[in-house]
Amino acid sequence: MITLYKTRVRLFGPALLFIMVLIYGCESGSEQPRIDLYQFEKPAHFPEPTYTFRNNQVNEKGFKLGRRLFNDPSLSRDGSISCSSCHVQSSAFADISLHPFSFGVEDREGKRNAPPLFNLAFHKEFFWDGGVTHLDFTPILAFENEVEMDIEFPEVVARIQRHPEYPRLFKEAFDVDEVTGPFVLHALSQFMLMMVSADSKYDRYVQGDKEALTSLELEGLKLFRQHCESCHQEPLFTDLSYRNNGVQRNITDLGRETVTEVPQDRAKFKVPSLRNIEVTSPYMHNARFETLRQVLDHYTDGVTEQVTIDPKVFADGKPVIALTSDEKEKIIAFLKTLTDPGFLSNPIFFNTND
Amino acid sequence: MLLLFVAVLFSCQESENPTINEKGEMIVKFDNYVGNQTMVLDELGSTNYRYTTAKGQSFNVTRFGYYISHVKLSGPNGEVFVDEMHASADESQIKGYYRVVQGESDTYNIHLKDVPAGQYNKITFTLGVREDGIQEGAVGGILDRAAGGWFWNWNSGFIHYLFEGHSPSSPREQGELTNRVRYHIGGWKNIPSENEDPQRFFDNNVEVTLDFDATVRVSESLRPSPHIHMDLLKVIGDADFETENNIHSPAAGKAFAQRIAGAFIVDHTHQ
Repeated sequence: MITLYKTRVRLFGPALLFIMVLIYGCESGSEQPRIDLYQFEKPAHFPEPTYTFRNNQVNEKGFKLGRRLFNDPSLSRDGSISCSSCHVQSSAFADISLHPFSFGVEDREGKRNAPPLFNLAFHKEFFWDGGVTHLDFTPILAFENEVEMDIEFPEVVARIQRHPEYPRLFKEAFDVDEVTGPFVLHALSQFMLMMVSADSKYDRYVQGDKEALTSLELEGLKLFRQHCESCHQEPLFTDLSYRNNGVQRNITDLGRETVTEVPQDRAKFKVPSLRNIEVTSPYMHNARFETLRQVLDHYTDGVTEQVTIDPKVFADGKPVIALTSDEKEKIIAFLKTLTDPGFLSNPIFFNTND
Repeated sequence: MLLLFVAVLFSCQESENPTINEKGEMIVKFDNYVGNQTMVLDELGSTNYRYTTAKGQSFNVTRFGYYISHVKLSGPNGEVFVDEMHASADESQIKGYYRVVQGESDTYNIHLKDVPAGQYNKITFTLGVREDGIQEGAVGGILDRAAGGWFWNWNSGFIHYLFEGHSPSSPREQGELTNRVRYHIGGWKNIPSENEDPQRFFDNNVEVTLDFDATVRVSESLRPSPHIHMDLLKVIGDADFETENNIHSPAAGKAFAQRIAGAFIVDHTHQ
């Protein structure tokens, strides 16, 4: 509320100040304006969000309802897993490192590493292949995938309708007398939209705190900008494109080709963000690497000629990126400054029903 | 002061020509055919093959329908009616999206309201759901996946045109079912080719424009009704059920989408 107040004053000028004071004076007896924890706020150094907030404004009730749905195993076919089974806050809402591929109902194993969830309001497409084009639609795929929750979305909504408490919570959050699919999706989106990670040491550095990074980390940042930035663009640390970085020795997963239906996209996957990368091991869609050092070694020594291989990692018969061992350690030191402890332990995401 | 305001309002209303604001309605009726036979649905698993394709393959229909949106009417004297479009999570706020579902007779009639009075002799509509029905996010009513909306989870978008049935020519199994034929025609965007890059995705929304057999008049008391026939055989075209029996992606649906516009005709018009 504080920021809203300030924005208005700035926008409409001092002439409105008097009126604003009157309104605020009437609205609450307290002199301390309350900070709304459940309001989406774009970090100052981020681009404009792409999410359609005009259709689904985040608010406390919708967010908390989404949080409850996200943690509810009764929304999987056999009641065994919830979204939070494979999207764990301490791992930046990726799966834990012991699960290179997540386990769905009946311990069915997936074929791609569960991606972390944060800064989703700024993405245009979702999942490793980008087939889903709006955040609202992402849960449908997780519900219906037979190696994930293996339940038809209509059945999810039917279970919510029969639940002793959910219908009342939907009424309170969305003013609807009947729970329908879009409101279930809106609640889940509200929860996911609040997963904003923008307060790492790196963020403090780019926002003016020159002490936030050590000299080693700064050297790493410089090397990062030289060798990695063209795909892992700041501030999201992804350019949102699809590329083949040669991580499959033999191509078994067609990746982006599945949705675009052209062979030129074979084995291409969405460039992942590197924020919180320290806590999201293993790496790549096929979970091939356990350490960041292995990832960098792949780029300098492991990439080989392959159909659709990205020219930014392989050209003229050899890997493009060349780094000494020392340089790799510096880059890794920098990558660890992208960890956002406040996000990883933010209590608003904890599984509680209050 | 208030008096002045009221006076201004009233004077405006009185000064306008009442005929300019006159509105009426039109009911557009859709009848689905297979060749010259009326479409009849059979039970799942039925071996009663009522219809035959151009290739001579017999088949039946177990489920059939299509989405219609962006309806427009135009007339010989410059009359234009553009049906309002709105995608919303709240079912009661959805405007301009329709779905004709075989076997559900209340879906055969599209009821156009607030049509300006005048003459009309042409209708245009989109067969399918365009980007504006997808990229607004979760939507309700006939577009709600949970309420039976025909929505792809893996490649976001709607199935514009859906035909399912059985043919003895198809070897396709679907669970317990045999001889399955399923055509789900969807896809709503083109990423055009650039330099050496090919086109990605396929926009299979189809713009259909039909002339009425006669000019009709809409007024407060006149509610005309054009009857449109849709012929599934024209969409199947020369497809071979032996190999083309399971269409579930924009690229695979492209050839069928190209035949959709030609499957619609205005049969007659009731004034």
